[in-house]
Amino acid sequence: MSIHLYASLVPEALIVSMLSPEEFGAYYAVGTMKKAHGQAMFVEVDPAFRSDRFRIDDAVRRCVPHANGEPKRSVYVSIYRVAEHLPIAALGPLYLTTHDGRVAELQKRTPPAEDNASLHLYQEICPVNPLVASTRGPVPFFRFMMDSSTTLFALPALYFADLKLGELAADPERGDGNELPYSNMDHLRQCLVDIRTKPISTKMVDRNHPVVFPYRTVRTGFYFGRGQDLAFYPMPSREDLLGKYYNWWRSAQM
Amino acid sequence: MSISMWLFLAIGLGLVSLGYALFLYAWVNRQATGGEREQAIAGYIQQGARAYLAKLYKTLAVLVAVLGVAIALIFSLDMIRTVAERTLVAAANPLEGVWTALAFVLGAGCSGLAGYLGMSIAVRANLRAAVAAKLGLNPAFRVAFYAGAVLGLAMVGTAVIGISVIYLLTGDPEVVLGFSLGASAMALLAKAGGGIFTKTADIAADLVGKVEAGIPEDDPRNPAVIADNVGDNVGDVAGMGADIFDSYVASAVAAMILGVGVGKTAAASGGGDPRFYVVFPLVLCAVGMLASFIGIQFVRVGRNGKPGAALNNGTVITCVIFAVLATLLNVLGGFNTGVLIATLLGLVIAVLIGFCTDYFTNDERRPVQQVAAMSKSGSAITIITGLSYGLISILPSIIGIVGATLAAYYAAEAFGISGIYGIGIAAVGMLSITSVIVSADAYGPIVDNAKGIAEMSDMGHEVVERCDTLDSAGNTAKAITKGFAISAAALTVLALFAAYGEVLGAIGIPLNIDLQRPLVVAGVLLGATCPPVFSALLMLAVTKNAFLMIEEIRAQFRARPGILKGTELPDYARCVSIASAGALSSLILPAVIAVIVPLAVGLLLGTDALGGFLGGSIFTGVIFALFMSNAGGLWDNGKKYVEAGHHGGPGSEAHKAAVVGDTVGDPFKDTAGPSINTLITVMSLVSSLFAPVIAALTVSRFL
Repeated sequence: MSIHLYASLVPEALIVSMLSPEEFGAYYAVGTMKKAHGQAMFVEVDPAFRSDRFRIDDAVRRCVPHANGEPKRSVYVSIYRVAEHLPIAALGPLYLTTHDGRVAELQKRTPPAEDNASLHLYQEICPVNPLVASTRGPVPFFRFMMDSSTTLFALPALYFADLKLGELAADPERGDGNELPYSNMDHLRQCLVDIRTKPISTKMVDRNHPVVFPYRTVRTGFYFGRGQDLAFYPMPSREDLLGKYYNWWRSAQM
Repeated sequence: MSISMWLFLAIGLGLVSLGYALFLYAWVNRQATGGEREQAIAGYIQQGARAYLAKLYKTLAVLVAVLGVAIALIFSLDMIRTVAERTLVAAANPLEGVWTALAFVLGAGCSGLAGYLGMSIAVRANLRAAVAAKLGLNPAFRVAFYAGAVLGLAMVGTAVIGISVIYLLTGDPEVVLGFSLGASAMALLAKAGGGIFTKTADIAADLVGKVEAGIPEDDPRNPAVIADNVGDNVGDVAGMGADIFDSYVASAVAAMILGVGVGKTAAASGGGDPRFYVVFPLVLCAVGMLASFIGIQFVRVGRNGKPGAALNNGTVITCVIFAVLATLLNVLGGFNTGVLIATLLGLVIAVLIGFCTDYFTNDERRPVQQVAAMSKSGSAITIITGLSYGLISILPSIIGIVGATLAAYYAAEAFGISGIYGIGIAAVGMLSITSVIVSADAYGPIVDNAKGIAEMSDMGHEVVERCDTLDSAGNTAKAITKGFAISAAALTVLALFAAYGEVLGAIGIPLNIDLQRPLVVAGVLLGATCPPVFSALLMLAVTKNAFLMIEEIRAQFRARPGILKGTELPDYARCVSIASAGALSSLILPAVIAVIVPLAVGLLLGTDALGGFLGGSIFTGVIFALFMSNAGGLWDNGKKYVEAGHHGGPGSEAHKAAVVGDTVGDPFKDTAGPSINTLITVMSLVSSLFAPVIAALTVSRFL
């Protein structure tokens, strides 16, 4: 049985496991009594990764099969402040797990250079999880957030998802937001109007927004960054969602 | 043409209908069955359906045997009284008792046979339709529709053969009433039982599978998924088939009884064989069968790929053909024009009522879209909105029924025929196209199952999308059929109500329903109470059984975590067993209400009170049936509208509220609502059949 290293994003944790990514996703979402069921996101980390911050070797030594031969499902290395100490180069595929344990694998790519949309909505995932409206594209938004020259604090890392705005992206006041599942739509519209009309590029819509969100609201994909490094995990195309990822996509739309 | 020849013609066309049904059965059975995986899943559904039907028919066989013996004994005594002397004379007439009992058993048997054939092909066609969907929309549509046509054709064939044979042998329409009661008894238990089964499984699968565990529809990891698919068949194929069979037979029989008086009057004024007006309803049924044979050929999905349009075209074309044939028959045969007008009125109103129902349950129309929009405000507002539109929805159907009743009555009277007979014939006219209506209705659960099989066996997105397109048309057809069935039942029971008066009149007992008489008022109020109490019993049965199944599903998830991970198969049979046992055990009290209560009211309060009882039950029964069916459809389609991406789409707060509305509406539209038709038909038939007995036993107290 091989040893895997996973970085869970919700909640933030670093875990050693004998389970494959699909098995781990199913276990994490529905297979443990500690979490009866629920959406999960985790990244596979290079098993050779080591850091003074994490006692990974100790965890690997403890990750041995159970007496009955069943694989060891999880040994927790850390349960907070994981993202800020994980180099982007060590990150492997991202796995999105649905409430009922279906797992989709997204490959890491270079972020696109440009994004033509004028308004954006980002769900920060870790280390904190506000919902933020911005006029900046995903890459400029990341750079802006990591730039401590304009704020009193600096984020060591930032993982976020780029969410859909539908017609609100072009017309936040009158656009049809019918298919968007966000709560307090009026406030969201106002935030979008504000960033468009005032000399601000970002505005916090919800300081502590639930990180469990419908995957169908993801627009371009997920962005995981630390320092100057940024990784991009694009959402599959519609053809792939209806083909290769069909079962996952059905569950994701529940 | 002599009376016997008309009857032989009806029997002949009935045999052709049965033969055509068997031909289509064989054709559907020959279609491709795909690979191992889909065959395995379809196999589970077949096993579940067979297991439930076996238990249902065993229970019904016992009931039919007991009632049959009781009927044989009771009707072996010919009760006669004279009004002036108020005396009772009883004469032994064992032959009448035996014939009535045999007719009763035959009616139950014919209903059971048609239901069995329909179910049997439905659980074969579901797989074949899914496999055919790989080739395209039209191949899958053909399989599903022709399978539905097996039920439609078998139903009308067995009904017409049964009624014609009994009348041919006995010459007594009151014996034929026994056939109708047998069909109705079967329908009541099949419909109510099927409704409890299907909603138990549906609610449990949704609440635990979808809401708690987040499993999508038709996911093989849900332990209730097979029971859910079996329920579609037992509720919407066997149950609805039995329901409409019951109305079809009852309408013909009621008109036959009313025809006795009309015939006598006509004969007295030199109008030919008095039995003609007794047999005329069967002639109309035969013409309807012929129109359906032709109409079914026109049902196909055109290049625009709209199955809904195909089903509607089939209905409309069949109506037109029937109207032409009925008019030709009337002209060539020199029959009374009033009767033709009544026939055509019934037909037109039936179709209009069906489309009115569609307005209130179609997601392209305002009522459903309003319910969906209101779900953004929460569950309470969703339910209030659905209730309100459901109440409003009864209005067009009631206007249609009133219109048909009055128009048929006065049209008949204008041409010298009893207006009441005109109402009876309008009911027969309404039900004349039953074959094509039931074909479209039975198509619905078949494509619903096909979609489920396609999902569960990973047939691919394109196949699932095609099945989904077919399923949407099926849902519309189901809604239209419900409206049609309720309205047809309303006119049928009005005719039966009149027949109750005729039966009493034939033995010299006048029926006096004067609302100033306290006994009559008591009867009206008691009758009005029956449909809501009956509905409550059925819905409580659903909630009780759904609770048991919910606990079973949760227990399976807890004990076997591999189920959700997809590494273990759930125990489907356990859920099917819970649904079956629950459905059958819950039928006793509702059946008692339907049979015992009218007898008790008649014996305790007299025949006039029983007349009031029937009136009260008809009036609230029709209203409750329309309201519950339409409100349930509104909530269901409101939820689907949100799931299609409106008002936040799946997972939103609006969706959660819409799911609550849908769960409330499920037993409304699929259990209680449609079962009320059969309740009021059974009560009317029991009253008519036992009217002479009740009159004889209460003559000294109330007259």
